[in-house]
Amino acid sequence: MATPVIMPRQGLSVESCIITKWHKQKGDRVEPGDVLFTYETDKATFEEEAQHSGILLEIFFEEGDDVPVLTNVCVIGEEGDDVSQYSPHKTEDVKDDETVEEPLQSGSQAEVEEESDTPTIVPQEQDNEKGIIKISPRARNLAKRAGVNIEHAIPTGPEGRIIERDIIDLMEKGKVFTPAAMDQYKPGFSDLPAVGTGLGGRVTTYDLEMAPKEERATVDSAEEKVKADISSDFEEVKLTNIRKVIARTMHQSLANTAQLTLNSSFDATDILNFRAKLKGKGQSLGLDIITINDIILYAVSRTLLNHKELNAHFLEDSMRLYNTVNLGVAVDTPRGLMVPTIINAEKKSLLEISKEVKELASACQSGTINPDLLTNGTFTVTNLGVLGVESFTPVLNPPQTGILGVGSIVHRIREVHGEIENYPAMGLSLTFDHRAIDGAPAARFLKELAENLENFSLLLAK
Amino acid sequence: MPKNQFINPNQVRKSGWIKFNDIPVNQYQKTIEEEKENYSKEDFLRIYHHMAIIREFETMIDLVKKTGQYNGVEYNHPGPAHLSIGQEASAVGQAYLLDEDDFIFGSHRSHGEVLAKGLSVIHKMDNERLLKIMEEFFDGTVLRIVEENNKNSKDVKELAIDFLIYGTLAEIFARETGFNKGLGGSMHVFFTPFGIYPNNAIVGGSADIAMGSALYKKVNQKDGIVIANIGDASMGCGPVWEAMNMAAMDQFKLLWDESHRGGLPIIFNFFNNQYGMGGQTSGETMGYGILARVGAGINSEQMHAERVDGFNPLAVIDAIRRKKEVLENNQGPVLLDTLTYRFSGHSPSDASSYRTKEEVEAWMEHDPLEVFKKDLIEAGVASQEEFDHIWENTKDLIFRNFKISIDENISPYMDLKKNPNIISDLMFSNERIEKMEDREPDVLIPKEENPRVQQIKRKVRTAYKDGKPVPKTRVLQLRDAIFEALLDKFYTDPTLVAYGEENRDWGGAFAVYRGLTESLPYHRLFNAPISEAAIVGSAVGYGLSGGRAVVELMYCDFLGRAGDEVFNQLSKWQAMSAGILKMPVVLRVSVGSKYGAQHSQDWTSLCAHIPGLKVVFPATPYDAKGLMNSALMGTDPVVFFESQRLYDIGEMFNSEGVPEGYYEVPIGEPDIKRQGSDITILTIGATLYRALEAADILEKEYGLSAEVIDARTLVPFNYEKVLESVKKTGRILLASDACERGSYLNDVARNISELAFDYLDAPPVVLGAKNWITPAFELEEYFFPQPDWFIDIIHERILPLKGHVVKNNFTKNEQIRCNRLGV
Repeated sequence: MATPVIMPRQGLSVESCIITKWHKQKGDRVEPGDVLFTYETDKATFEEEAQHSGILLEIFFEEGDDVPVLTNVCVIGEEGDDVSQYSPHKTEDVKDDETVEEPLQSGSQAEVEEESDTPTIVPQEQDNEKGIIKISPRARNLAKRAGVNIEHAIPTGPEGRIIERDIIDLMEKGKVFTPAAMDQYKPGFSDLPAVGTGLGGRVTTYDLEMAPKEERATVDSAEEKVKADISSDFEEVKLTNIRKVIARTMHQSLANTAQLTLNSSFDATDILNFRAKLKGKGQSLGLDIITINDIILYAVSRTLLNHKELNAHFLEDSMRLYNTVNLGVAVDTPRGLMVPTIINAEKKSLLEISKEVKELASACQSGTINPDLLTNGTFTVTNLGVLGVESFTPVLNPPQTGILGVGSIVHRIREVHGEIENYPAMGLSLTFDHRAIDGAPAARFLKELAENLENFSLLLAK
Repeated sequence: MPKNQFINPNQVRKSGWIKFNDIPVNQYQKTIEEEKENYSKEDFLRIYHHMAIIREFETMIDLVKKTGQYNGVEYNHPGPAHLSIGQEASAVGQAYLLDEDDFIFGSHRSHGEVLAKGLSVIHKMDNERLLKIMEEFFDGTVLRIVEENNKNSKDVKELAIDFLIYGTLAEIFARETGFNKGLGGSMHVFFTPFGIYPNNAIVGGSADIAMGSALYKKVNQKDGIVIANIGDASMGCGPVWEAMNMAAMDQFKLLWDESHRGGLPIIFNFFNNQYGMGGQTSGETMGYGILARVGAGINSEQMHAERVDGFNPLAVIDAIRRKKEVLENNQGPVLLDTLTYRFSGHSPSDASSYRTKEEVEAWMEHDPLEVFKKDLIEAGVASQEEFDHIWENTKDLIFRNFKISIDENISPYMDLKKNPNIISDLMFSNERIEKMEDREPDVLIPKEENPRVQQIKRKVRTAYKDGKPVPKTRVLQLRDAIFEALLDKFYTDPTLVAYGEENRDWGGAFAVYRGLTESLPYHRLFNAPISEAAIVGSAVGYGLSGGRAVVELMYCDFLGRAGDEVFNQLSKWQAMSAGILKMPVVLRVSVGSKYGAQHSQDWTSLCAHIPGLKVVFPATPYDAKGLMNSALMGTDPVVFFESQRLYDIGEMFNSEGVPEGYYEVPIGEPDIKRQGSDITILTIGATLYRALEAADILEKEYGLSAEVIDARTLVPFNYEKVLESVKKTGRILLASDACERGSYLNDVARNISELAFDYLDAPPVVLGAKNWITPAFELEEYFFPQPDWFIDIIHERILPLKGHVVKNNFTKNEQIRCNRLGV
């Protein structure tokens, strides 16, 4: 008997995963343990192994496709097995130019609202005493798996019960629409939100606008074709999951907090000397791996606990002030920005921090980072100094209240005892959430941090 | 209807008289002095001793029930105790001449008979054999208890008496160390190694079972006689008359082969204590005056009936001696009216409001334990001291066994907490025994020469050949398939017998047995009287005695006539015996059509409700032969339903057709007859074919693919396939021709609701016949499920079908209305 392979659910919050690579092709024989495909969540990369032996009879998604979790991805079986029942592409039969079907009328109970001529799909009035939605267990399970809202299903079962086919119908045709959205709706908007932003969760024109463009590009509409002809010299790149997450969180950060940035710098003479020592005599002790960035992370971990509003989560009605420092470190990876966390950084030595940062970065680069280490940060440090950026405006990682940007070292001059002298100055940019902390206390953190870095040898001795 | 018996109108229309012989009433009049030449002193005293043991045993139980103690040792026995204090002489007198090959069957009031028979057999049996029996019984468990706790038993016989008293008492007290592990109890205790067969709590229940046991002895030429010990009040029970009549069938003496000719070796012994609970039989609830009179109504030998004085043990011994001779001369059956009286009540709660103190006292003056003792002393056989000594021994015997049988450490109850499956494991024996005895079966011709076999050889074994349906005349029909299985077994198992109504020359009402007559002598295949109770009851007796029987009731509707035999006897004895008895009995019943209200009912649900029965209902020739083979190989009672709609059907599902050789279809496994994906339809019996028609309509008109599963068996039932199907389709319709209310399919539906709830897209829906009488054939389409009913009920309750217009009312309102009205 043919067995479908589903997209696993790697964590409760994961909604979909992207197939990054197929290791087997349709028609290949597979054995248990063979890697079928690689996929990534917004946080990590995984390999799906075959559980059964047989022939890879059908593949429902291509590389780069974003597949909802628990959806059938492919089918393993033997020659001649019927695989059609496992296909998640129920819309395949729907002709592009086909209009939305009328709801199946069941007896005299089916009443279509007469206010509008548009084919508005309205849930059939249920005989729902006490607001109970009548739905078969099978339909309820399917709805849960498919992530559709049962309130939008049109009951066609006996006595106004929602049955399996109503959920399948909902999955195929989409959701409940406002009349205006209905006008604009064309089959192919498969990535609409489960619940629209309109009244009673109706999908609105806004929701259609917000639907991913590339989905709309598949819409076979004359109007769209014209548009495409006008500017056809571009490359459509599907967003990776990680990009989608970054986009969402960054936008939410700026939209939902009161963040501002303070810029400052400090004399890096001490840390540069210290670093030189590590490079020289420290080599034999294995200390030469410690970088300037590690030194800054160390100093931050030792300074933060004096300024708990910055080692905190802002939770609208309350603040959670942490007694340990879980230091997020921004890492640039080919897939995009990732922020692994050094747990309990305040208890770790400089060398320990240095080693851990390198391990975390390497795991992020290779995509094998443990998802748990990508959360729970209490403060973040991001360093663009190596790329020559002198100062910048880091974006907060809510609900954290602060993020420190580290700039490059530039030589500045200053007057000391009437003489002009040149010193290496390193830029520090602290973005903080003004909802959580005021300017002066934030500045005091920056000041103490600068002092600690300027006297790093003394800090180490503490 | 044997053709060699010519019913001559000239003869049967002649005038004349029926003449009766005198029926002896208490004709035994000998004195002790006269009997001294027949009995030694030891014999006389042993008779008395056995009576004393019973008296003390019963007195002990009486005291426990009424005063909660015996000899100062407290005990509460909540179970039944139907005592026979006063009847001891009749029991001991009957058992005196019997040995282990003689079987007695009893009633709810049979402690005395059990002890008397056991004591008599112990006396006669050699020590080596006694010891072997005790050692082998339940792996010596009972023996070890008795040995350890009765160290003063001097020899094997004394030990065996302790064994008998203890095993009986522990059984009465529901202990796992009892003769039937406590599963039989007071009214059912028995011990087959001593020829003590089940006692029966249904009044008269032993009559037909004992008759079946006698049939077993006759057919298989076993030694010994059988006695059905039943009460005077059981003369009011139909099955008792049926049993006596069937035991007296003329064919035994006229038609059976020389080697097996003659009457059944059975005594219908009525322990006539003159009351049926509180109903006074002679004078109130019966019209016979003297019970022995009834014998004259049964056959020309008047069943050799007589009344014997059950208060005199020597009178009873004398009667049994003479009646045994009658049976040994193949002149059975015999009716004995053993007059007696119980001093104790019907049960401890009996206030004896139906009789006077004077009456009881008058009978007590005849108390055999006093009168017989007095007679023996007066005749100089023994002294008072010797009797005192007997009593001393007896009281000690009963008391010591009483003490160990109520001790929970020595005599525990079944530990159902620790072993919750003990009883469920005993409900079926689930054994496979090809033949119940290893000897050449009696047959008349080689199997290959059987005319039906030769006829079937020319038939096509599939319903279709080269894509075309094979004509009915040329196809191997379902009735042929059942015949093949049966014929096979007749040539394998020498104990196999088949009987029922019209089984022999007619070939069964539906021609299943056509051709069997040519192969089998009368004693293996015969016509029974139209006595459903006796047919089934005798099969029970035949089976538990060690044979294998297939009996037939023609129409399923006649099951009611055998209600007790099917529901209380056939189903219960394996478990009530704690697995000692087997019940390799197949009961064939046929579900009719066309014949109206009392000939067209599917009563599978009634049988499925009763624990202890296997219930099958094949709908195809392949399944019918395979299931019949399984039923005939097993050791459990199987109610084998057949459908008169299907006897002529060919095999449509198994592409290879019905195999010629032996094969089995396992009992309990449903079968998918048509694959599908949208809805599951589970059917029982002939409804399968209408479900398939409905599946065609669903496919052609509504694009729905139905998976059709034939249950084949109701009990046991493996849900795996059905659940797998429902998980796939999400929907199930269950259909049979049984009336919808109380249909077994409601059970299946409930189980599926529970076992596959999360997969269901609609509640499981049961489609049955109307809760009406079955109307005439011309109106049957309004009564039994029809293909369009399937579509309508699916549309209404499971999956509304686009564009479907219903013809039948399956709405909820109708459902509520019908239930409100009880229709």
